[in-house]
Amino acid sequence: MDCTRFFRSGPWLAAVCFALLGGALSGTGVAGEPAAEVPQDELGAATVAYQAELLAKLIPEAEAVKATSAFDPVVFAAYVPEDNALTPERVELGRKLYFDKRLSADGTVSCATCHDVTRGFTDQLPGSLGIGKQVGKRNAPAVLNAALLQTMFWDGRSPSLDHQAKQPILNPIEMGMSNPEEAMKAIAGDAEYQEAFKKAYGREMNYEDLGRAIGAFERTLVFLDSPFRRFMAGDASALSAGAQAGWELFNGKARCAACHPMNPANPLGSDHRFHNIGVAARHQDFEGLAKKALVALAEDSSEQNLDELAIGTDLGELGRFMVTRKRMDIGAFRTPLILNIGITAPYMHDGSLATLWDVIDHYNKGGEANLYLDGGIEPLALTEKETNHEKHIAPILRRRLVGRHDLSSVGRLDRRVCRASRAASANGLGSRREPPVARPC
Amino acid sequence: MTAVSCDGENTVTVPKELSGQPLADALMDQWKRDHPEANWVTEQKEKHALIPPADNSDLLKGGQGKDHTYGNYTELDILTWARETEKFAAEGSRIFHSADALGSTIAVSCDMCHPHAANTHPETYPKFQPQLGRVALLRDMIDWCIENPVRGEHLDPNGPTMRALEAYIMAQRKGVAMNYGKH
Repeated sequence: MDCTRFFRSGPWLAAVCFALLGGALSGTGVAGEPAAEVPQDELGAATVAYQAELLAKLIPEAEAVKATSAFDPVVFAAYVPEDNALTPERVELGRKLYFDKRLSADGTVSCATCHDVTRGFTDQLPGSLGIGKQVGKRNAPAVLNAALLQTMFWDGRSPSLDHQAKQPILNPIEMGMSNPEEAMKAIAGDAEYQEAFKKAYGREMNYEDLGRAIGAFERTLVFLDSPFRRFMAGDASALSAGAQAGWELFNGKARCAACHPMNPANPLGSDHRFHNIGVAARHQDFEGLAKKALVALAEDSSEQNLDELAIGTDLGELGRFMVTRKRMDIGAFRTPLILNIGITAPYMHDGSLATLWDVIDHYNKGGEANLYLDGGIEPLALTEKETNHEKHIAPILRRRLVGRHDLSSVGRLDRRVCRASRAASANGLGSRREPPVARPC
Repeated sequence: MTAVSCDGENTVTVPKELSGQPLADALMDQWKRDHPEANWVTEQKEKHALIPPADNSDLLKGGQGKDHTYGNYTELDILTWARETEKFAAEGSRIFHSADALGSTIAVSCDMCHPHAANTHPETYPKFQPQLGRVALLRDMIDWCIENPVRGEHLDPNGPTMRALEAYIMAQRKGVAMNYGKH
């Protein structure tokens, strides 16, 4: 009977994650097309010139400051700070700064290193590489659509993009400038910058405006069009039957919508709250870390110190606790976006979950038990069929963004991530009945 | 492939194999971005004096406590709720005032008898409705009106049109105490 055929082949939950959620930006091109050779710099990011060129193609300059029609204009305006209205000059200045490696102590790291346009606006690494190839302890969030988040960083310690942009520059593991003055000195001699700052903000270049400009630029990186959005608008053919079944699970048995609601009012799929879902919780001595953290923060309660502790030490595992110092926030991190997650692997605050299959498995087993586990986490008892994804990852990842942007070139999946995914499947984790097929991720 | 819309101005570059609805959507998105003033919600609010939804700002003062995960609401949250609610009521207003959107075959719209949703008294439902010969909810009466004075086709009670109309009618009656059964 036909209905049983559907159940046997259903890609269900993981497929919907890839399909509708990774649907706005696709992975590499169609099967058979070789991925274009992307020039890389010493830290593995695409070169700045290549990224800038790609971005210019995606968002022609004339259109950068126009609000997206996919999001409510009144609510979007509320996300724009009063002292930083979006103007073309500010966006252009921010773009230059975003790609400028001179803002790092050894000239190797820019924002675009860890938030690489060709790697899903993140770096697809568990922990990011900073100056001197130091590895940080937190997974780089994608800048893509970050303009629609209520707080920045995994622990929400930054209230806005403008504020966030100033932190990594001063972090010793990331860009390593000792203080704002040193950062400004690195670019002060550039006459182009002096003029650009004057045109954008009407005053001498300063560190606050640097943050604002980068924030203004990031506010243009809003890509909401996707097959999923069309499906929500009523086009039932925009998602495959398997993906639609997965969407039912997403809102039902799999309980994803409890923290990742996806609807026209909230197209991103984050509740902007902080939850301890027990990622890598079995490795943590939360009580011990919390005591150390309270001491460390009492000694130096500056935001600079908080930033360094979060990125560079084990205290970062405490998450939101470092900001609020409340027991219920121990190990709690902000719910990330779901839109476009197909290209922002690996997942979670420490990048410990390599593929979406791992993510679903994590939730299916009820996270990792710890004293501070969020009350909404429980074992899901999803069946193999419901989590199976083998037939549908590749086609859905290759699904192109339809709409203003052809984003098929953005976020090529790192080979490592693809290999990890195939390895996980080949090891019998999941009901694979055929050997892995050799095809590009 | 570059597609040009019929006004000759809007162009969009899309994958070659694209056609039909997604292509039209792309061009429409482009047009909307170029014309942000085409804000139908504001238009409805001004033309038809839409009553705004309730003010929820006292929720900002605590819930379960500041920074608590559950029960913690931000300004952006309540702005989103207010915005979505008024959009839903504005959509109802748009349909309420449009004979075509109602499906009327005689160019009659609801506001011709119920300007600003006057005399719809949604707070009195459920009640026995003589025209229907049974106890009716608001949407049953809306449907009766659509079929009789408006001479349109029966509306699906759970469809978007009926829901929007109900929303608008209830919105315009904000603040009036519930009083079911009152004739």
